[in-house]
Amino acid sequence: MKKVFLFVLIAALMLPLFANGNGESAGSSAGFAPTKDITWYCTSKPGGGSDIYTRAISDSAVANGWLSKAPLINYKTDGAGEVGRNEVANTKQNADYTLLTFNSGDLMPMVANTPNRIKNFTPIAIMATDKQLLFINPEKAKYKTFADALAAAKAGTQVVIAGSKGDDLELYGMLIKELGLKENQIAYITNDSTADAITSGLGGHVDLVMSKPAAASEYVKAGMLVPVLALSDSRFAGDLASAPTLHEVDAQYNDVELPVWRGIVGPAAMSEEAAKFYSDLAKKVSESKEWIEGYLEKNSLKSSFMDYKEAKAYMEKYEADYLKKIGK
Amino acid sequence: MSNFAMLFRGFSVVFTFQNIAVCLLGAILGLIVGAMPGIGSLAGVALLLPLTYKFNPTTAIILLGSLYYSNMYGGSFSAILLNIPGDSPAVMTMLDGYPMAKKKKRPGQALFTANLASFVGGTIGMIILTFLGPGLANVGLHFGPQDMTALLLVAMTSIGWLVGKNPTQGVILTMLGILLACIGMDPQTGAPRYNFGNMYLMGGIPFVPFVIGTVGFSQVLRLMSERNDKVDEDKMVKQKLTIRGSMLTGHDVKRLLPPAIRSGVLGTFVGVLPGAGATTGAFLGYAMNKAFKSEEPFGTGAIEGIASCEAANNAAAAGAFAPLLALGIPGSGTGAVLLGGLMMWGLNPGPLLFTNNPDFAWGLIASLFLANLLTLMISIGVIPFLIKILTVPVKVIIPVVLVICMVGSYANTYSMYGVVVMIIAGLVSYICEKSGYSTAPMLLSFVLAPLLENNMRKAFITSQGSVGIFFTSPISCAFMVILFAIVLTPIIRGIIASSKKKKEA
Repeated sequence: MKKVFLFVLIAALMLPLFANGNGESAGSSAGFAPTKDITWYCTSKPGGGSDIYTRAISDSAVANGWLSKAPLINYKTDGAGEVGRNEVANTKQNADYTLLTFNSGDLMPMVANTPNRIKNFTPIAIMATDKQLLFINPEKAKYKTFADALAAAKAGTQVVIAGSKGDDLELYGMLIKELGLKENQIAYITNDSTADAITSGLGGHVDLVMSKPAAASEYVKAGMLVPVLALSDSRFAGDLASAPTLHEVDAQYNDVELPVWRGIVGPAAMSEEAAKFYSDLAKKVSESKEWIEGYLEKNSLKSSFMDYKEAKAYMEKYEADYLKKIGK
Repeated sequence: MSNFAMLFRGFSVVFTFQNIAVCLLGAILGLIVGAMPGIGSLAGVALLLPLTYKFNPTTAIILLGSLYYSNMYGGSFSAILLNIPGDSPAVMTMLDGYPMAKKKKRPGQALFTANLASFVGGTIGMIILTFLGPGLANVGLHFGPQDMTALLLVAMTSIGWLVGKNPTQGVILTMLGILLACIGMDPQTGAPRYNFGNMYLMGGIPFVPFVIGTVGFSQVLRLMSERNDKVDEDKMVKQKLTIRGSMLTGHDVKRLLPPAIRSGVLGTFVGVLPGAGATTGAFLGYAMNKAFKSEEPFGTGAIEGIASCEAANNAAAAGAFAPLLALGIPGSGTGAVLLGGLMMWGLNPGPLLFTNNPDFAWGLIASLFLANLLTLMISIGVIPFLIKILTVPVKVIIPVVLVICMVGSYANTYSMYGVVVMIIAGLVSYICEKSGYSTAPMLLSFVLAPLLENNMRKAFITSQGSVGIFFTSPISCAFMVILFAIVLTPIIRGIIASSKKKKEA
């Protein structure tokens, strides 16, 4: 009995180690077709935004028969994602079977904190872009419009914005620079996630909340958040159309925006045939019903597909601009 | 009363063959996942989530909800029997659970206490959730960063009780815990801190491998060194392996109930607070009950000790559903995954969920009641088998525990980095304990310091650096008064005592 119990215990504990199966995959492109399992790195935790995005692509590809088998998603969250990105960058063997979910929120800390650069990857596609807005809590906010908040900040009352880390923090820096204000006039509280930022907004602990449309949409519908500033060069549609852009608030300012893109890259060692194969696959996914209805519309994202050549040029320029901005 | 009617409607949703079966499956999986160190509810829910794509949303959430919930039971098993916490809330259970099982030779009763207290705490949490759910979530919103800071400062003082005989050593290890918690990304600016150019350290030290190493691996090392001293076989627990032999006496139950009820109420409330979670709940429950009378001192294997943290963490797990369902705000990492699940199944989590999908929301709450009962029955049923672990000879236990430590650390981080952290933490804490330092203060400061830092810095941004913010908000002011009372009482008592002595002299 004792031995049996121990054996079962050990076997049960070992189970996760053998969770990776093997199987053959068949593709459709002429130059390259996967014949082995694809490993897809995701540098955020299961259930996070990047994970949902990765699964949405993989599900659409499998559901439409463009991939015979779902890629194995490998969650590498070590070092705030840097370890996973570094691993993909240095993948030499199996380079044609390695993908990485990569977005602008990954790129910024990567180039700011590590020597890793876009040149260490093979860009495959950009699938969608997203922009932010500022919201108020209509019940508790001291300022009902962004113009009110701006006037208060200029008059010496501190205005507090809550947002997430990464691109939100970056966008806040751009906003106060454009407004010509200092960090103590409009302060920013960094939260681990947009959900936390919204929580502090609902509790009335901050004046403004920065969020992308998807995370805020249910609160806007319930009347608990009201958009007051579109951080974009044009107004948003639907529920969010009431929010003016910065230029509309005051003509002396230019619009401030930091389009957040979600993309896919492979290792630098990936062959051009493979990059083309995955890029074509991503294009088909980007036009599929599952993707448009199940992902883009649900998350209020804009489709902005770029193939591997366009994505390469775009990401390189984005990196160069960002490096210049942070003085590196 | 309408909430009561809605709950019954929820039960009518749950009581289909399919949903009960799924609830049972969730309860069993949750127990297994919880009992395995390293694989907590977060990993369990995340791993199961993709399998539920094709389920109807109510069935899917019943599966995941009962898994999440019963996980809180499972975590205490290995904490009590092996001194390795199955998940992070069980760290506190270990403090009394293991001594009770080992030194007092009452492992069955220790497990029984944990199970019963979990049940009581969970039931209280669910009742509060049923009647106050949405309102409770709004109370949680009132807690701003300054209030959380004050609450955490109160929690921090309880480390003082754990430092043991030598306060200096306790303070040193508390500081070490805080210092280790600082490694990683700065929570406000996103700049890397104390990473010494190392990419792994940039993400900080992962909590679960750190705990497994500090507690589990160091114990393996201790057992190995003790083996040379010839452990006599008498030390081994000889207890009848039956449920009856593990039953609590009426007196035990009397000791268990008051702390469990107090913790149940407190834990529910902590679970509702944004970003607090079951671990903080267990911690505060333990700290609070320490202030009440107990038959034996806490930390020596007291039934009250086990009951206070087990009831609190289950209540917190139930309470965490209030903001999740009423506002779409996840209280913990697991909550965030559940939220992702809701979106995947085509629901829109948020303030409109109770109105738009009442069957779903109330079905989930009803299923928690069912899961609570099922888990209690299963976990009491397995006690006789579980305590067999204690009769396994040390030479077998050592390799098995070592494997559990390794697999657990790996499974939590999906990386060998976790295993390395576990081994280093184990070596360091082994050396500490050999030199008479207790590592409990380090673990606890490691858990609380990041929460405290983050909230305190947020509070200071809002107040532009003024300490006044902690006294102007009524909630934080109340906690500050409690804090000063706790800190100053011994000092004032000391002064009074010494002045009395002087008078006598």
